[in-house]
Amino acid sequence: MIRRLIEDALTVLSWAAGLLLTLALLTLAGYLLKKGGSTLGVDLIFGDTAPLDALMLRRQVFDGLFPAMIGTLLLITGSMLIAIPVGIAAGIYMAEYCSGRVKGFFSLLFDILAGVPSIVVGLAGLSLTIFLHRHFSAQISTSLLISCLSLALLVLPYLIRTTQTALESIDPLIRRTAPALGASRLQNIIRVLLPNSISEIVGGIILATGRCAEDTAVIMLTGAVASAGLPRSIFGQYEALPFYIYYISSQYTGPDELARGFGAAILLILICAGLLLIALWMQKRLTTLLLYR
Amino acid sequence: MNRPHSFTEYIFLTAAVCSGLLTAAVFIFLFIFSLPLLQNGQLTDLLLSSWAPDKGMYGIYPMLSTSLTLACLSLAISFPVSLGCSFVITALAPARLRRFLLSMVRLMTGIPTVVYSFAALFLLVPFMRNILGQGSGMCILTAAPVLALLIAPTMIIFFVGSFEKVPRSSTLAVDALGGSEIQKLLYVMIPLAWPGILNGLLLGFGRAMGDTMISLMLAGNSASPLNSLTQSARSLTSHIALVMAFDFDSMEFKSIFVCGLVLYIFTAILMLLLRMSTLCFSGKR
Amino acid sequence: MKKGFHMLSLIGATALFLLFSITGGAAASDLAPFAEQEGALRVAGGTAHIPVMKEAAKQIIQSNPKIQISIAGGGSGLGIKQAGEGLIDIGNAGRKPTDEEISKYDLKLFKWAIDGVGAVVHPENSVKSLSSVQLQDIYSEKISNWKELGGTDRQINLYTRDEASGTRKVFWKKALSKGEISAKANVVISNGAMKTAVAGDPFAIGYISVGHMDPSVTPIALDGVAPNLDTVRSGEYKVARGLYSLSKGEPSGLAKLFLDFIFSPSGQKIVAEKGFIPVR
Repeated sequence: MIRRLIEDALTVLSWAAGLLLTLALLTLAGYLLKKGGSTLGVDLIFGDTAPLDALMLRRQVFDGLFPAMIGTLLLITGSMLIAIPVGIAAGIYMAEYCSGRVKGFFSLLFDILAGVPSIVVGLAGLSLTIFLHRHFSAQISTSLLISCLSLALLVLPYLIRTTQTALESIDPLIRRTAPALGASRLQNIIRVLLPNSISEIVGGIILATGRCAEDTAVIMLTGAVASAGLPRSIFGQYEALPFYIYYISSQYTGPDELARGFGAAILLILICAGLLLIALWMQKRLTTLLLYR
Repeated sequence: MNRPHSFTEYIFLTAAVCSGLLTAAVFIFLFIFSLPLLQNGQLTDLLLSSWAPDKGMYGIYPMLSTSLTLACLSLAISFPVSLGCSFVITALAPARLRRFLLSMVRLMTGIPTVVYSFAALFLLVPFMRNILGQGSGMCILTAAPVLALLIAPTMIIFFVGSFEKVPRSSTLAVDALGGSEIQKLLYVMIPLAWPGILNGLLLGFGRAMGDTMISLMLAGNSASPLNSLTQSARSLTSHIALVMAFDFDSMEFKSIFVCGLVLYIFTAILMLLLRMSTLCFSGKR
Repeated sequence: MKKGFHMLSLIGATALFLLFSITGGAAASDLAPFAEQEGALRVAGGTAHIPVMKEAAKQIIQSNPKIQISIAGGGSGLGIKQAGEGLIDIGNAGRKPTDEEISKYDLKLFKWAIDGVGAVVHPENSVKSLSSVQLQDIYSEKISNWKELGGTDRQINLYTRDEASGTRKVFWKKALSKGEISAKANVVISNGAMKTAVAGDPFAIGYISVGHMDPSVTPIALDGVAPNLDTVRSGEYKVARGLYSLSKGEPSGLAKLFLDFIFSPSGQKIVAEKGFIPVR
């Protein structure tokens, strides 16, 4: 009898939990849309500057999200350019060459790196900056480049893990065919194994891109500033969408600016959720990777 | 096995070694920069004394206790909810609803933390201020539910994954005996999947400790020792973000590297625990 | 369709351009030195300075898009230190750097405005005036309820700034007579954030630069003197300070032009528009 009671209670509570989560999410979405929905439009991005002028870089945008969006775009591009080659190469090594204790040791290291809070990665980037500034050149300061390096470090473990699991999950039949026909190990990797797992690897890359786009803690320590216009070089400081949201949350000067903050929040969610959906569509087995976010 | 020492293999090896070295380099950087403080005061002093830079005290105990309290509280909220959700997704809901819920949870992992805290700052903080009747509304009690929402998808996905790994032979046996879905969960799946649940819990805890934006924007950031949950408080991560503004030679600035070090070591221990529990689990099976 | 859009934006751009060349924002002569310049300028530090810096940067960049000016907060402490270390070109400080800091880093000071720091509360708060002693008691938590000051029976929510803040230093020294600031106070990281926090909390008390005051918060009269531009200018309100920009050694290049612009009639007009007292 008591068992029956427990079972029923558990069923009810589980449904309640599911409902609670859905409600929380709906509240969030509804609130953001209510507050920021009306700002969505060309003005949100370009302010009072003509879009064409801004895109052609003829005129700087003030009171618009354009510089922050470009900053985020550059951040993503820069950090992925650094992280992808290293991550995939290390992933190939882990899956195809490494074994035994060495493999266990390396995976522990990468797990730690994946688990390190992003603000600690940002702190490492900041200390690198101070170190370089003191010992190499007084010109070096927090900049787009430092942020890209730090973000690359942040997403490196995901890329390694995706590549590794993608390669390891390939059907042994496919894996053995080419070597049996006389292909070398490298030929097998490049011609057979990588093409077979490409969709999963690309899915992992897109996920990592989303991580770069959303992270605030790393960039607030390594060079994102309140106002910078468009970055002119990788050694300069820059604006970025998540930092803009953080800045507005505490510094807005009026309802207009606050509404723009909500607009930026919607924009950032759309970018991140969009990237996630593409990744999920490309790769069905990436559930494990979502866990390290 | 023969070892083909090809040039390309060295490239792959270098990439892996570099990535591993970077992990170590982060630790080394943190360690070197926090060395002056570690040498000056005893480590226990640093971890257990309070923060009063005016009086020359750079202890991080208030932040440490806040971080731990906040993580535990958000876990206490998030764990039952996540477990319930994972029950619904694994067993209780009809197939179509399951797929919908799972996609929703996956989509949640894509919501930036700064957006969660931005919305909560204007929605939850004034609400909490009115409910509590005192204080600014920025406190641990405000930050914890938001943090719980942030870590829920991580745990749900992990729980669902470990339930799915339960061998079909066991669940089929329950079906054959005419057991209901909830009985299947309660008496077969949970006993078999509990190490997975434990791992999900550990991962959720790690995420909760490591998040910056939620505690920075919602917890109020006062550095006084923690007395109550309705009081403004500062976590290790927000301490790093706040003190970053100091000059580089000051002891205040060096103390944030100690915070970073603590967070790093904490992560490393967590990952070791995870590794060990996974090994135990696979050993049993 | 697409062509139509191009035409439209072209017309829009021309209209905007014409608009700008007429109203201009700043007198063209003050911006003339920037015409042939190119490069990046980093500004960081005091958060009271940010509105002026942003407006100045906007006018300069609109006259010459080849210049990039990045503006960050961080507090006066950071401005002094980073300018001294050479990490930024211009550091802002809401307090005078100590003699030690000036000599150690060879800092050159440029005081371009006078500003006050005043305590502020939510507009709905019935308490509008305090004595110095009361203010000190509030910040040291000897008075912890608005009831004791004739207000509602609610706990006082203290807000203060981070330790790098020049506003905090000035307020602590001149308004609190170096009295204690309770560790339980909420910490915010800029003047803007302080205003936002107090404007959103009916039982709050905080302190901001007079230049940042607007109807969203109510200034508290201290010993009978309300903090505003007139009382600060006349010296009647005592909690006043200079707003400084610093450079390491004599400024050169863009940094010099930028500082010259702040001191030019257009620059000082911005200073006044943003609620500070210009020095010229």
